[in-house]
Amino acid sequence: MKDQTISRILIFFLFISAVLVYVAYESVRNIDRSMASSDWVNHTHEVILEVNGVLSSVRAGDSAVHTYVITGDPASKAVCHEAFGVLGGRLDSGELGEHLQVAEADTRNEPAQHDEILRLIGLAGKRADFARALLAAHQSGDTGSVRSLLAADEGAEANREIQNLVRKVTSEEMALLADRDQASYLQADNTRKTVWSGVVIDFLLLGGVAWLIRDDIATRRRAAAALRESNEQLEARVLARTADLASANEKLLAENLERRWGNQALEHQLRYNHLIVNSISDLVFVLTKAMNISRINPAVVHQTGFEAEELINRPFSSVVQLLDDNPGADALLLNPGPPLAAVVPMIGGIMGSEGPLIDPLTHALSEGRDLRDLPAIVEDRRGRKTAASLTLFPLRDRDKVVGGVAILQVAQEKA
Amino acid sequence: MAGRRNSRGRRAFGALCLALALAPVLLRAVTLADLLSDPEMTPKRFADYFENFQYEYHEEVQDPVVFLRTQRGDCDDYAILSDYVLGRRGLETRLVHVRMVGQEAHDVCYVVSVRSYLDYNLRAYYRNLERSGPTVREIATKVAESFKSNWTSASEYTYTYDEGVKHMVFTVVKTDSPSEDPDYPNPR
Repeated sequence: MKDQTISRILIFFLFISAVLVYVAYESVRNIDRSMASSDWVNHTHEVILEVNGVLSSVRAGDSAVHTYVITGDPASKAVCHEAFGVLGGRLDSGELGEHLQVAEADTRNEPAQHDEILRLIGLAGKRADFARALLAAHQSGDTGSVRSLLAADEGAEANREIQNLVRKVTSEEMALLADRDQASYLQADNTRKTVWSGVVIDFLLLGGVAWLIRDDIATRRRAAAALRESNEQLEARVLARTADLASANEKLLAENLERRWGNQALEHQLRYNHLIVNSISDLVFVLTKAMNISRINPAVVHQTGFEAEELINRPFSSVVQLLDDNPGADALLLNPGPPLAAVVPMIGGIMGSEGPLIDPLTHALSEGRDLRDLPAIVEDRRGRKTAASLTLFPLRDRDKVVGGVAILQVAQEKA
Repeated sequence: MAGRRNSRGRRAFGALCLALALAPVLLRAVTLADLLSDPEMTPKRFADYFENFQYEYHEEVQDPVVFLRTQRGDCDDYAILSDYVLGRRGLETRLVHVRMVGQEAHDVCYVVSVRSYLDYNLRAYYRNLERSGPTVREIATKVAESFKSNWTSASEYTYTYDEGVKHMVFTVVKTDSPSEDPDYPNPR
């Protein structure tokens, strides 16, 4: 967004610079043209002045030479000399000579006017020649020659001809002057229009730049406001989340405390349970679902002579067997016989069943049933068997039987 | 203390006497003979002589003796005199008559060897020579610039005090192409 705006502004400024350069270039070019036109106007004025100067010089020289011949006044001769310059040579001196040479040089590139100036030089030269001849005749004292020269002179006609020629040249130069002045005016007008157009275009472009900058600033303000709002929302959310976290933390702390208390209570309970279980004189076996011993109470150790480590993970049947209510069973109790492993098949034989004797226990556990006061025997380390009453409770964890607890009440040995 | 005061007074009196003795020499106007006989004459030195001259317009070219005596004159008096004096010192000079719009024409004397012209309007300045190219067009342009004006045409001319008339050699017109100038490209 930012880059685009800068690029656009740069493009605008490039346009503005281009317009400025163009306007400056055109203006300077038009000024040069205008100067050239002005030079041409001045030039035309000079031609008009010079040709009129020719007429004035011819008249002044003519009248001075006439006056001198009549009066002999040296001042008149000086005026004649001044007007016609050095008589008898080229027309390059005196006022007439200067006017003619300048007029001839000025019209060098204007063929029509140049021809007229050459004609003028011829006519003026004749007047100068006449003056030279008249002065020479006067200086020689030849009054007759002076008279004849004056009588033959067509000065008035010649002067009229010069005057008409001067008027013609002046008129043509005035026409040229009008054209050149018009060209000068048009160039000045063109310069004016170029400059004003450039100024207007530049102002429009500057307006565009201002609009772009304003738009960019507005966009930036909007973006800043949105960012501020977003920050505020984020801050509010952070605050809310922090409050939630603080609340959850407090809750957790409370829960932890409660859990610790609960755990302490459970530990107490467990210890009491252990104490209770351990204090019971009955034999308590905790069994797995596969009927292996997972825990025992001290009464078992005391009764069987096995250490707890020796019984854990051993099959329950290796220590306790169920008995049927038949005399053979009692006989087994009364007469200590072979070790338990050897006895088991015999018990099966006594019971007359095909499967092992454990089955009722496994079956009860799989069904989640209790078995109460079943006759059984407990075999100790020395192989001595003791009759007992077995009660089995299934252990449940979320309605699933995970094991069982077998409690055996040992009967008093018969005397 | 008194002796020192007397010594200082004597010194001041001496300086005053010397100044009074030299005053006629110092204040004496320069003559044509002075100019022509100055062995160290240069364009710059020539212009220095005219530092205190006044401007006074004359229709005709003044006699140089009158010009120098009165210390009053105009541009062509000065230009023609410098052409006369420096020409006799063996320097190549050119007299240029510049016509400008709406004012009297102006004359200067161009000295080829120093590529500068002598202008009566510059006589009071330290830099009393103006550098310029050798063509009449270049000289006319410089002269018109000094007047902050436009020139229309300029002529080279010759003048002798004996004859007392300006002879136009050639004329350059501003609106013409420079290549049409008689002194282009090689100055006359």
